Amino acid sequence: MLRNVTLVFAIGFLAAMVALAVFAPLLPLPDPVKMDVISRMAGPSWAHPFGQDEYGRDIFSRIIHGARASLAVSLTAAALAGAAGVIVGLVGGYFQGWIELATMRPLDVILSFPPMLLALLAVALLGPGALTLTVILSILFIPAYARVTYGEVLVVRNHEYVEAARALGHRPLRILARTILPNVAGPVLVQFSLVVASCIVLESGLSFLGLGVVPPTPSWGLMIRGARAYMHLDPMGIVWPCMALVFTVFSVNRLCDHLRDVFDPKARRVSFSPASAIDEDDGARGREAAAGSATDDMLLDIRNLTTEIAVPRGSIRAVDGVSLKVRRGEAVALVGESGSGKSMTGLAIMKLLPRRISRIARGSIDYVTADRQRHDLATVPLNRFRAYRGKEIGMVFQEPMACLNPVYTIGYQLVEAVTAHARLPKQETWARALKALKQVGIPDPERRLHEYPHQLSGGMRQRVAIAIALCGKPSLLIADEPTTALDVTVQAQILDLLEQIREASRIGLIFITHNLGVVAEIADRVVVMYCGQVVEEGTAEEIFYTPRHPYTRGLLASVPKVEDKTGGNKRLSSIPGAVPSPLALPPGCRFAPRCAHATDLCNAGVPALEPVSDSQAARCVRWRELA
Amino acid sequence: MNYVVRRGATAIATLFAVASLIFLLLHLVPGDPAEILLSSGGIAPSKESVEALRVNLGLDKPLLEQYITYLGNITTGNLGTSFQDGAPIGDEIVKRLPRTLELILAATFISVLVGMPAGVAAALRRGGVIDGLCSSLASFGLSVPVFVTGTLLILLFSQILRLVPAGGYVGFADNPAQHIVYLLLPAVSIAVGLIPVVFRMVRTSILEFLEKEWVRTARAKGLDEPRVLLLHVVRNSLSPVVTVLGLHMGTLLGGTVLVEYVFNWPGLSGMLVQAVEQRDYPAVQGIVLVICLLFVLINLGVDLLYGMLDPRVRYK
Ligand code: SF4
Repeated sequence: MLRNVTLVFAIGFLAAMVALAVFAPLLPLPDPVKMDVISRMAGPSWAHPFGQDEYGRDIFSRIIHGARASLAVSLTAAALAGAAGVIVGLVGGYFQGWIELATMRPLDVILSFPPMLLALLAVALLGPGALTLTVILSILFIPAYARVTYGEVLVVRNHEYVEAARALGHRPLRILARTILPNVAGPVLVQFSLVVASCIVLESGLSFLGLGVVPPTPSWGLMIRGARAYMHLDPMGIVWPCMALVFTVFSVNRLCDHLRDVFDPKARRVSFSPASAIDEDDGARGREAAAGSATDDMLLDIRNLTTEIAVPRGSIRAVDGVSLKVRRGEAVALVGESGSGKSMTGLAIMKLLPRRISRIARGSIDYVTADRQRHDLATVPLNRFRAYRGKEIGMVFQEPMACLNPVYTIGYQLVEAVTAHARLPKQETWARALKALKQVGIPDPERRLHEYPHQLSGGMRQRVAIAIALCGKPSLLIADEPTTALDVTVQAQILDLLEQIREASRIGLIFITHNLGVVAEIADRVVVMYCGQVVEEGTAEEIFYTPRHPYTRGLLASVPKVEDKTGGNKRLSSIPGAVPSPLALPPGCRFAPRCAHATDLCNAGVPALEPVSDSQAARCVRWRELA
Repeated sequence: MNYVVRRGATAIATLFAVASLIFLLLHLVPGDPAEILLSSGGIAPSKESVEALRVNLGLDKPLLEQYITYLGNITTGNLGTSFQDGAPIGDEIVKRLPRTLELILAATFISVLVGMPAGVAAALRRGGVIDGLCSSLASFGLSVPVFVTGTLLILLFSQILRLVPAGGYVGFADNPAQHIVYLLLPAVSIAVGLIPVVFRMVRTSILEFLEKEWVRTARAKGLDEPRVLLLHVVRNSLSPVVTVLGLHMGTLLGGTVLVEYVFNWPGLSGMLVQAVEQRDYPAVQGIVLVICLLFVLINLGVDLLYGMLDPRVRYK
């Protein structure tokens, strides 16, 4: 809202300013240099709407004529610098080798001067004046354009159409003009508006010092300079030119922001309206439910979990009525394509859903502590939930590159995990950190403690992440795609490690993955998710040998049979179609649009999760016929 | 260590290039430099004075010899003598340099002090009232040229409210309290343009870092929220802030020129403006050289600080 208002203001103001400046000589304005000493510093009147300055000259007329000088210098300089800079950038970027060096290197020298100083140096040499100013400004801003152009050229230089033009034997000049220039036009235009603003500021600054535009030519900088001595007598005399200058610069800047949004959609700000934000601890869920005690070795019992996320076009249920059980020492794999809600389920357990825009809308997450007490995590307020994180439940994330903070040593990050839950003497915390590193099989752990994440390989980093997750001795470990970013041999090692840890400490494991192939090695039970729902679950054997849901079969068929380097990511047969948008889900079976067996019956309503055996269930109305 | 050496070497190379450019500039201008320097308003200077200036500046010697003499002089700290009074330029610079440095430091300090918390607050309540207000103020602050800020501050605080003097200087040793009073407005004027820069950078990087997996890891460890924010989000945003401050050093140094003029602050830049007005080329050349040296050194400092803040840079 506000952004649009400012944009309209900016465009309107600039248009008016430019029009007035261009047509100033034709307008019935008083002569901006005609003095009238008798009515010096007179207030506003019909003849002089902004009043008169220290020599009795008309301020309004001087502001308009000042705009003329300012805009003429700035636009000319920005355009000249643009022409020269673009050419330099094009040539430097297109031709490699010494031409690149010869064109781009000298620019660095210009950039190692503060611009104002280079301008002053030149003024000292050449004397002040509008012409000097224009020339200096043009030279000063060549690097700005050249760098932008150069960068863009490097990006497009090896694009196919440029290659094609080259193969066709087109001359470099033609290639540059025809294929590359259109690509750099946007960024250059953005740069142009930036440079215009900088030029206006520099010009007015130099004129203010008396070293830019020389009197009697009116200029905003000169007006401020002149009115300064009298500002105690006539404050408005100085406020008017200041306002003209500030609004002009603001408008150009605002326009520049807008151009940037238009030409660089990546940088565009996506903002949620605050109204769609969700309060995590709204009244209905404020109380913490004491869910009673458990008798068997149940560790986690999720019932009917539903999460809501506010998106710009409404709210989506990334997890929609999911139930899930994990026993102590059991490994459960949560499988599905991206967008199935599997990661969201993991994050919901840890209360790590994106803040302010998402919440647990329904369902319970019962966690059983070692003393057999059930706690509904969904109702534990965030400030108290900290006691569970790390200590009861640990979590490992997908990106080993990003899961460790690059500015701290491995040791520091491990120690943090220890001290989050226990106050221990320093020596002991470090001893524990070292032990945790040893436990995950990192060679030379003493040295690694003092190293930074970027000094470790991806596999090592993932081991460290696991060590961090295990530092608080949790009973449940959630691993969200922990091997996806790693290569196949390292994948196998990490899986072995997880298996080893599970056996050694009877830890419950939720293994989230899109790859059923990985699951076979590690999972006791498998839960397959699609569009926020569980579509099939069963023991690993059941899922692999007697899958009931067509989606599970599709997933199985897409697992590469031989996991070698070349076939690692190649799907043999992938499921046709794409996951539907969570904002437009099919009315019945959510898999129906992609299912080869879909009938009208499938669209009649969301199928129930029907038991297939004691341990297996499938959400498909036709599972019996298809079995 | 390796990193420090590399940055240092780059700094020295830059300085060399800058010094050479300053030297060349005098000779790149079409026409006789001595004549150009003496001519004003289209009046041709007398033959004798041109000849005298030529000898004074050593322009009568071969170019290469001039260049070598020049490089030799500046490395031994000899910046020549002023046209106006024949006083050694170096002495005056040494006297004024600390004042300019003080101004820069104070302005940077204020900018970080205001910009960081504002950026953090805006990012944490993104889209909220504070965010909207601060972001609008920031884009406005970026649009006010530094001399306008200075002039308007004088108008408001010393002419209308009569709270502080309009400008001037007292040595810190003479009267510390008064010294700070004089420092305040100039430093704030520069900071007004710099706060938005810091604010925007902090806001953007906090928003970016909040999404990072290491923040999730930190939360998953069970760290409390203030610690997660401070140690894993705000701490990480320090390096981009240092970078952006480095990038704006040029503008900042240019800003001091105007601000020192506006407030009669007797730093380097005031001397520079006067020298330019008098077209005292040796003085201008000397001051520009020193400010460029400062610029390069500050950038070197920024690089080293950056290396301290981000281990990835140090070990590359
Ligand atoms: S319910 Fe119908 S559409 Fe859905 S999976 Fe079963 S057969 Fe396919």
